[in-house]
Order: sequence, then structure tokens, then C-alpha cells
Amino acid sequence: MATIDVKDLSFTYPGGKKKALDGVNFVVEESDFVVICGKSGCGKSTLLRQLKKNLAPFGDREGEVLYEGTKVEDLDDALSTAQIGFVQQNPDNQLVTDKVWHELAFGLESLGLDNQAIKRRVAEMANFFDIQTWFRKDVSQLSGGQKQLLNLASVMAMQPKVLILDEPTSQLDPIAASEFLKVVYRINRELGVTVIISEHRLEELFTMADKVMVMDEGKVIAFDSPWTIGNFLAKGPHPMFYGLPAVMKIYSASRKKGVKPYMQGNEEYAPLTIRDGRLWLEEILGDRGLGPVTFEEEEVKGEVALDMKEVWFTYERGKEPILRGLNLKVMRGELFCLLGGNGAGKSTTLKTVAGICTPQEGTITVDGIQVKKGNMQELFKGHIAMVPQNPQALFTEICVEDELLEAIYYLDYTDAEKEEKVNEMLKLMEIEHLRESHPYDLSGGEQQRLALGKILLLNPKVLLLDEPTKGLDPFFKITLAEILKKLQDRDVTIFMVSHDIEFCAEYATRCAMFFDGEVASIGRPKPFFAGNSFYTTSANRMARKWLPSAVTWDDVVEALDE
Amino acid sequence: MFKDGIGEDSRFKQAHPLVNLIFYGFVIGVLMFSMDPYILALALIFAWAYSALLKGRKVHRTNLFFALPVLLFTVVVNTFFTHNGQTVLFFIHNNRITLEAFVFGIATAALFTGIIVWFVSFNEIMSSDKLIYMFGKIAPVLGLTLSMIFRFIPLLKERFKEIRMGQQCMGRSNEGKLMHRIRQLTKEISILISWSLEASIETSDSMEARGYGLPHRTSFHLFKLSAEDKTLLAAICFFGVLASVGCVLGYTNIEYYPKVTMPEFSMIRLLTLMCYSALMLIPIVLDILGEKRWQRLMSKI
Repeated sequence: MATIDVKDLSFTYPGGKKKALDGVNFVVEESDFVVICGKSGCGKSTLLRQLKKNLAPFGDREGEVLYEGTKVEDLDDALSTAQIGFVQQNPDNQLVTDKVWHELAFGLESLGLDNQAIKRRVAEMANFFDIQTWFRKDVSQLSGGQKQLLNLASVMAMQPKVLILDEPTSQLDPIAASEFLKVVYRINRELGVTVIISEHRLEELFTMADKVMVMDEGKVIAFDSPWTIGNFLAKGPHPMFYGLPAVMKIYSASRKKGVKPYMQGNEEYAPLTIRDGRLWLEEILGDRGLGPVTFEEEEVKGEVALDMKEVWFTYERGKEPILRGLNLKVMRGELFCLLGGNGAGKSTTLKTVAGICTPQEGTITVDGIQVKKGNMQELFKGHIAMVPQNPQALFTEICVEDELLEAIYYLDYTDAEKEEKVNEMLKLMEIEHLRESHPYDLSGGEQQRLALGKILLLNPKVLLLDEPTKGLDPFFKITLAEILKKLQDRDVTIFMVSHDIEFCAEYATRCAMFFDGEVASIGRPKPFFAGNSFYTTSANRMARKWLPSAVTWDDVVEALDE
Repeated sequence: MFKDGIGEDSRFKQAHPLVNLIFYGFVIGVLMFSMDPYILALALIFAWAYSALLKGRKVHRTNLFFALPVLLFTVVVNTFFTHNGQTVLFFIHNNRITLEAFVFGIATAALFTGIIVWFVSFNEIMSSDKLIYMFGKIAPVLGLTLSMIFRFIPLLKERFKEIRMGQQCMGRSNEGKLMHRIRQLTKEISILISWSLEASIETSDSMEARGYGLPHRTSFHLFKLSAEDKTLLAAICFFGVLASVGCVLGYTNIEYYPKVTMPEFSMIRLLTLMCYSALMLIPIVLDILGEKRWQRLMSKI
């Protein structure tokens, strides 16, 4: 019997004009690892929620969802709680209690287990997830990655047979995300738990998945093995193609242009991992190197928009400095990306530039004005502004239009001018169709654009962005890049802090690596990433032996084409 | 060696919550119904000593901060509004101001301060998870509610910090004119509320997904009653019960009106006092011995 059997499932939200789910049919067998992908708002979450009793949203539903032959809504409450685990997006919001051990026990308490039984299960989980060292801590002291692991562990403590995860890593940095996914993979392989996961970040999941489902506008448009799905997406190409692992993108794009396939025996074998990709290139290229190995040193020209000189910063007296004599120049019209590990001080750098943290030593000049207490008022009048990591920190109004208006409400414009500016911004951010929506009803990517639009109404010459691509689907990232390009054309300087290597490699004018309180290396994306061996894009890691200068997957495809 | 207090290392703090709770029950229970100056003085001294042992030098200021206003208030109120007593000091508007009323005021102040200072150490000893456990014993839902409150306080603080930073990103500081500051604060609070309401949907889903609302909920805890806890409990109950009996029989009180009279020496009175002192000394001795033992062990390494 199939673990999960969805038959002709359609769903419409109350008052909704379109079906959120439209005739969905699929079967998940025991111990399968299923990945669901699709653009934001394609119905992934709606579908996943239908699989769990009590979480299904209200609305008109047709068809049925069977769990081991029983309709999900007819399942016994305790059975459904224990056997179907559900993990959501936000690490913070899912935590209910104040202590790690209490959180682990939460589900078991609901099931009415006695103290001894709970202790045993909790001990098992703490060992499996390696959380003994923070077992007695307050949950507020944990990092985002630890919080999400805890959410997973507390679901796993109930020993579910099916684990459903709704974009569990969208709020995590890449390293924490990859660790989290590895644990999910272990749960599937070592414990045989059926996993159904929706994600934007397919790079790693494609090598883990047994089956991949692609959704579009509430319909399942494909459900097959990762390799077949890769080919399917490449055909269009479907918007989700851009979310595929670089190796697959390169392979399928090159195949279309007639490059030789990767064969094993007599069958074509699509490379999924970097290793496979390298073997394929080895086969078709052998020892032939392509492309130049050296780069010309390019002088950076132009007017300096942001200048940091010998900046030192410490949060508390006696603590280790976060910034140690940081020197950095960003030119007008640049899209400058600052990359680096967690807690390295990237965000602190942004905060010092925005005047939120005052450095102990050194000077920062933005647009010709020094950043210091007395100048802040002036600086924020059209010279600088920053988009915070969480867009919610800005939202006060009940509709998108008012939200934008709020940014300039107290500024000296006439009402007509204000209205015009708001309309212009709605158009620039491509959210005109959402003008009446409540900011909280927007998707992550739309919220990000609304926040960006709100900040841009302040008309800054230098725009600071903190992790703008966090939680965005690959398609939205392209839209964001286009918007940033438009701003650059208007001579706006963009200084962003990011973990997203692939995004920076593709769109930045310059990148810098932040390490130990200062800039360790800096350069245009190509020489910058070609010079790194580990901290570089997956396309570069795959092809660097033959094409050291190819950084993005496009570069590799182009080079192979020649 | 105890300048900064032993805080988390306190042996008594590591004891089972029941032990802590019964101890404070006896100490504060007896104290509340006692007016014997010896009892009051000892209770105050031991309370003060124990709070200092736990929290170090900085506690003196906290204690004084509570004690002085209480002292001032009770003495003034009692002296000027109570006109009982034999020994008249002077008259104000034909009202007798008596020595007895003054002394009674001081005794009441000692009583209140004693209770307050015992609560200072109680606060340190009864950590949040102990309170949650004790409430969970009464009803699992109570324990959980408390636990959620302790979870949300730091979360809201963190969120508020983020909102403030977000506003600063737009150049909106909370400085300047009062009206502007009020407007800005209102805005920040309104963001906090809508953000938190939105977030709580996910929280309730997460609770629902993990079976909240199923019947027969239990309350998990990490405490176990060790052999040492039992010994401790026995000692506390032994001295506590004896002191309480003395208290109930009136051996911890004296007459203040019409004249402050110290009762004649009686064996029961002395025994009650000794039992009460022994009771209060238990955590102090336990913690000091524990600390000494620890230091001895450390010095051997």
C-alpha cells in the first residue's frame, strides 16, 4: 500500500477565483525521498498542508488524500500527530517553549507519554541530532540553524513515518542549510522515514531525491526521477530551470547545443554531482584546456561613493574587535558584494556604514559626507538607506500602496508628487497588481521587493542590502537582479552583504571576501572566484581544471559550445 | 572567595524544586507570624547572608534599595498613626507619640525586609524551569503557559531590536522632540504587534502539528529526587515542623503594647529559636561546604 496517495485533489481558497490546487494526482511509496519544486505561490505549501490533518487550510476541496489507505481527515488524532511530522519555514516561530529539552518533549507530552518514556526518546533524539551540548540551553540562545534542527528533532521524537518539510531552509544561511538537509537525508536513509520536502535550493536536494515533483499554478506538471526532471525543465526552459544544480544546467544546455553526452555503458547518464560533471568534462575535453588562465589587472575607475578607512569596531569593551582596520572603496554605480562566513562581521560592516553602530576608530564617508552622529539626518535625506534582512521590520500599513506612501509621508512633497512617486515605484518593483494587498499576504519575494521599494522612495545614492536573496526562489532572484541593474543605470551604488555565491558571481561588478575583520580578497567576479579554490561557484568548481575563468554556468556552456 | 556570589554553582540550587519550595515555605511561613526580635533579627541576617552568598557584593545595594523605603515607611506610619503604648515620647496635636509604636514599626520593617530579602535568594534558586515544573504538577497547561511566556519575552525583545534597527535603516531614529519620539515608538510597537500576531499563526500550527490539544497531556521534567535531596528534605522538615509548632503555640511572638515585654526564659522558646536558625542555616552551610569541597577537588588537579 502506498504511504501517501493523492487522488484528483483540487482546492480553492474561500473567495479565491483560481484553484490553488488543480486535479493533483500522485503516489508516494514508503521510504521515498520526494522533492517538490516550483515558483513561489504555485501551491506547494497548500499541497503539503493537505497531507497533514488539522493543518489543511479552509476552503473548497475535492478529491482525497489517503495515508496508508485511510483518508487523512479520518485518521485518529494521536496517530496522525505521531506518524506524520510537519516542519515549517521559520525557525523562530515554530519554537513553543523556553528550553531545548522541553521543546524536544513537547510532542511527546501531547501524546501523554510518562516521564520515563519521554526521557528515553528525548535522549535518543539528542544523540541522533548531536544536541547533547546545548540540551539544557534556552532556545533564545541558539543560532538559526540550531533552532531549525531542534524543530526537526522535536518532530522526530514522536517517531513519524512520514516527514513533511515546507521550505525548511529558506531562512538559513547556506552552510546551516546544507547541514540541515544532510540530517534530513540521514533520517531518510538510516531510519527509512518517507520525506516530502519543498525547496528552492535544489543544488543539494537533487542528489538526494528519489523523485522530484514540479508544480505550476496548482498543477503537477512533472513527477519523475531527478534526471528526467532536469531534462524536462531544460526544454522550455521552465522558470525552475534556473534553480537546478549548475552541473545539470550546464549539461542540459550543452547537450542542446550538440555537445557529446556522458555515457556509462550504452546508456546516457546525466551528471548530478560536481564529481560526475568533472568526469564528463574529462571524457569530452581530456587534457585540452580552454580559455585564458591569467587575467589582466583592471584598475577600478570612477568616483568613490563609499569609502571606509581603517575602521575598527567592537561591540563591548574587552571583547574581540569585529572590524579590524577595514579599508574599502566602492565606486559610483557599482553592485558591490561582500561575501564571507557567518558571524564574520559582514552585517556589522553594513551597520557601521548606516550609522547604526559607531566605530571606535576610522572614518566612513558616504557620497562625500562623513558618517557620524551629527550628519545622520542629512545622510538619510537622499544619500543612504538600507534594506534590513527581515522586510517585516518595516511594514506598518494595511495595503501595499499605503506602505510605500508611508515612507515619504513626512517629507516635503505635495500630495500629487507623493502619489506619482508611489506609482512609479510600484511599476519599478513590478508589484502594481498587488497595490491593494496586505503586506503580510505577499510572498517572501514580493515582501522583499516592497521593502526595497519603500527604502528606494527615500531616493538614496548609496543603497545597502543585507542578504537580499534570502528565501527567494530562483525566478525571483532574476527579477531582483534586473531591478538592481535598473538602479545601477540610474547611478545608484549598491553595497550588499550576501552568502549567495552564485548570485554574486553572476551579477556583481566586484566581490570581496570578508575575513577576520577585514577584506581578505577583492576583485571582479571572474578573477575573484577563479582565484578561490573552495569558496567559489559550483560551475567553477566543476570546470576549473579546463576553464579556470568560467565562473557562471553560462560561461561554461559558452566555452563548451566553442 | 564569595565576592561575586556562587550563583549557578549553588548546591542548594541544584536540589529538587520540591526541596527548595518546602524550605522557603517553612522559613517565610514562620517568619510571617513572628514578632520576636531575636527571630526577626536572625531571619534578616541569614536572609541577607544567603542572598550575598548567592549573588555576591552587588546584592547589598539591591537589598538596601528594598529595605530602606520599607523601614522608613513602617516606622513613620506606625509611630505617627498608632498611639498605643505606655512610654510617651512627645505630643503632636494632642496625639501621643510612643516608644512602643516606634519599636513596633522597626520590628514590622524587619519582618517585611526579611521576607523581601528571602525572596531575593528565592528568585535566584527557583529558576524558570523549576517554577514551570511546580506549576506543571498542578496542571500541565499552567506549566506550559509559563514556559511559553519565558520563551516569548526574549523573542519579543529580539524582534523589537530588529524593528528599531529596521527603522534606523530608513533614518528614523528615536531621538529629537518628544512628540516625534512618541510617534516613532508607537509605530515601532504597532509593527511589533502585527509581526508577532502574524508569527503566532505559525506557532499555533507548529503546536497543532505536534498534537497540542490531545487529551491526557503530561508534563515532562528533568528533575529527580536523589538520595541527598531526601536527606535534605528530612532535615528541612524536621527543623521546619518544630519551628512551626513553636510558632503556632506562640513562642515566636512577644507583646509590644502597652509595653514591650520580653517574656521570661523558657526552654521551648529557646528550642524554637534554635530550630528556626538551624533551618535557615541549612542552605548556607550546604553551599559553603559544597564550594569548599569543589575548591579542594580543583586544587588537587
